[in-house]
Amino acid sequence: MPITIDGTNGITQAGEFNSDSSFGFKNRIINGAMVIDQRNAGASVTITNTSDTTYTLDRFGAYGSQASKFSVQQNAGSVTPPVGFSNYLGATSLSAYTVGSAEVFDIRQFIEGFNTADLGWGTANAKTVTLSFWVRSSLTGTFGGAVTNNANTRSYPFTYTISVANTWEYKTITIAGDTSGTWVGATNGVGLKLFLGLGVGSTLSGTAGAWAGSNFLSATGATSVVGTNGATFYITGVQLEVGSTATSFDYRPYGTELSLCYRYYQSIAYTANSILAIGLCTSTTNQECTIILLQTMRSNPTITLPSAGQTSGTISFLTSAGAYPATTGTNTVNNPSVNNFVVSGGSYSASFVQGNATWLYPNGNVTIRASAEL
Amino acid sequence: MYKLLPQQKTPNGLVDANAILRIADNAYIPFDPDNTDYQTFKKEVLVGAELQDADGNVMTDASAYIASLP
Repeated sequence: MPITIDGTNGITQAGEFNSDSSFGFKNRIINGAMVIDQRNAGASVTITNTSDTTYTLDRFGAYGSQASKFSVQQNAGSVTPPVGFSNYLGATSLSAYTVGSAEVFDIRQFIEGFNTADLGWGTANAKTVTLSFWVRSSLTGTFGGAVTNNANTRSYPFTYTISVANTWEYKTITIAGDTSGTWVGATNGVGLKLFLGLGVGSTLSGTAGAWAGSNFLSATGATSVVGTNGATFYITGVQLEVGSTATSFDYRPYGTELSLCYRYYQSIAYTANSILAIGLCTSTTNQECTIILLQTMRSNPTITLPSAGQTSGTISFLTSAGAYPATTGTNTVNNPSVNNFVVSGGSYSASFVQGNATWLYPNGNVTIRASAEL
Repeated sequence: MYKLLPQQKTPNGLVDANAILRIADNAYIPFDPDNTDYQTFKKEVLVGAELQDADGNVMTDASAYIASLP
């Protein structure tokens, strides 16, 4: 790619830069360096929910058809991450479980349609993508995963080999874009699902390296991590980019990565003696206030409030004199939207004056959680 | 288990709340078809999960109620 500098034309270059991925924001995976862990702050999570995804590190979910077969933790085992990385996602098998034919245990990330629509999958113009990551396991052999559409009616199983136990290895997998099937376009729905298998049954496993009109979540014959008690599977530097070549990892500023995560999940912490929000007394027993979210979320979020009360870890509306009412009532969330929600106090003691100000007060440190995950 | 919320007082009178309480973790789930917790709520109630009205009574016509939602 010759570049010419002269006094007439300034800087010119002949040809094109070598790929669409030469610049920043090329990685469709959010939190690929496993830096953000809002929910658990580095604590281990045993995957017990057999009906839905359990979110672990931000944007990364885990699923097991049987409860308590593996755990997930940021920097599990405290090994040294690959050069250039400070964190990793660690999965640890909690038993030696033989995976049933229709069972699945995996790590997953679902990517929003707004962030995959340009791939043109499901059309004749489908773009090739490349997945790359660093991986380390106590096991060796052929491991598997898959990329699927939202409906799991199109899937591309893939394999990669871990050659040496307990050693970080860099893997790349190039996937020709799918020209068939129905793929969610530029919407806030699921545009693409990435699965990294930790043990996937035969009916959910398919031939690696080819698109199939089936629900395959891994490749046939892949190693089962949950099949060995204490086995570990660590991963970081996960990147999915346009093009047939894996390029260097897209390190984004921490604040930028955190903001990307906030679209899907927000853990909003308040310290002791702070104020969650100023509100209004709508009667002697009822109050209203609005809490603004940190960032516009993907959908109207699920809101989890601290309990109402006057003891440590609870919240209560205070009188306009800044005092606890005789009795704290109930706090209810109303009108959750992508930007804010209302907290309505009700059944408090008649300690308030209608029309006066009030504030929502935390006793000690409290956290509000907002989730709009895919 | 899930519970409906009381109607909201507005300048236009009482209106139905647009969120539902998931009792297990005190989470308020919006009536938004794009919200995955809302999708799960509808699926779980249709297969038998308990749904209470705003007064805490178990709804016997939960399936019909779910069918009326967006």
